[in-house]
Amino acid sequence: MKVFAIAAAGLAATAAIALAQERALKPESQVKLRKSAYALMNYNFATLEAMAEGKRAYNQDEAGKAADWVANLSEVPKRFFGEGTDKVGETRARPEIWQKRADFDAKMDKMVAEAQKLPQAARTDAASLKKAVDATGDACGACHDDYRRK
Amino acid sequence: MRVRVWDLPTRLFHWALAILVVFSFATGKLGSSWMPWHLKSGYAILALLLFRLAWGVVGSETARFSRFVRGLRAGSAYARTLLARSPAPFTGHNPLGGWMVLAMVGALLAQAATGLFADDDIRTQGPLAEMASEATVRLMTRIHSANEWLVVGLVVLHVAAIAIYQWALRRDLIGPMVHGMGESRAAPRLAPRWLAAVAAALSAAAVYYLVAILPRAP
Repeated sequence: MKVFAIAAAGLAATAAIALAQERALKPESQVKLRKSAYALMNYNFATLEAMAEGKRAYNQDEAGKAADWVANLSEVPKRFFGEGTDKVGETRARPEIWQKRADFDAKMDKMVAEAQKLPQAARTDAASLKKAVDATGDACGACHDDYRRK
Repeated sequence: MRVRVWDLPTRLFHWALAILVVFSFATGKLGSSWMPWHLKSGYAILALLLFRLAWGVVGSETARFSRFVRGLRAGSAYARTLLARSPAPFTGHNPLGGWMVLAMVGALLAQAATGLFADDDIRTQGPLAEMASEATVRLMTRIHSANEWLVVGLVVLHVAAIAIYQWALRRDLIGPMVHGMGESRAAPRLAPRWLAAVAAALSAAAVYYLVAILPRAP
C-alpha cells in the first residue's frame, strides 16, 4: 500500500511540475510536491543502499533504474522551497533555510550533483555504486542536519 | 586483604561497552557511509546490556543489583564522606556508583532500543522501523537523537568521577577494573564462568532474534 501511495504521490508531482513552470504554486502544494519527491527518492535510494551494502544481490538493470529515479527526482525539491513554505501543512523545513538561503542552495545543488552520478555508477558495478551512494547519502544528510526539524 | 573484586565477565562487559559506546558515537557522526557499522555496534551494545541485566541478577556478588543498588540515605551518607575527601571504602560499587550503573544502563538501553525503530529518511533504517507506525518511528528517531546527549553527559560524569578518585583522592578504581584485584575485608562470592557464557549466549540470541528474525516475520 505504501508503495502505491508513494507512486501516486510521484505521479501527482510529475503532473504538477508541468504546472509549476507556468506560475508559482501555493505553499501547501509546494510542501506536498517536495515531500512526494523526497519520499520517492528515499524509496529508490533504499534499493541502491541495499545493493551497495550487499544486503541484496547487485543487479545492473534494477540498480540503473532506481538510480535514474533518484537522479531525476533530485531536481524536484529545490523548485518548491518558496518563501513561507515552512509555515504551512506538515513540514519539517526550518526557517533557517530562508535565512541562510545561499548555504541551503549550495547544499541542495551538491545533493543534485551527486545524485546525477548515480545512474552511471549504478550501471558500472557494486563498488562504484557504493561510492556514489556514500557521496549522495552524505550530501542528503548535510541539509537534514541543519535545515530539517528532528 | 587483596581479593578479586570484579570478575572477568563484568570487566569484559565494561571495556567492551566503553569501546563500543565511543565507536557508536563516532560512526553516528562520521557520515552516512558509517551507518552500517553504527547499527552493528548498537546491536552489540544491546546484547551487552541484556547480559549485564542478567548478570546483575545471577552473577557474582559485586555485579548484583541487589547488592549495590542503595537508597537515598545510603547515597547521601556516602556523598558526605566523599565531600570530606575520605570516601568510605566499599567492595564493588559504592552507593553513588550504583546509581551511575543504573543511569548508564538505562540511558544506553533507551538509546539502543529507540535505534531499532529509528529512520534517517536517507539510507538507514533500524531493523524494526518498517514494523512500526510512522508516528512511532518519528518519536523513536527524535528520542534517539536527544538521548544521545544524555549518554554523552553520563560518560563525561563517569570519566570525571573516576579521574577525581584516581588523582585527587588517590583511590585506584581503574586498576581493579583492568585486573580485577582490590582491597577488601572479605572476598566477594564469584559466580561460575559458564553461567556468564550462558547469559551472554542468550543475550546475543535475543538480539539476533530482534534484528534478524523478527523483521522478516510475515
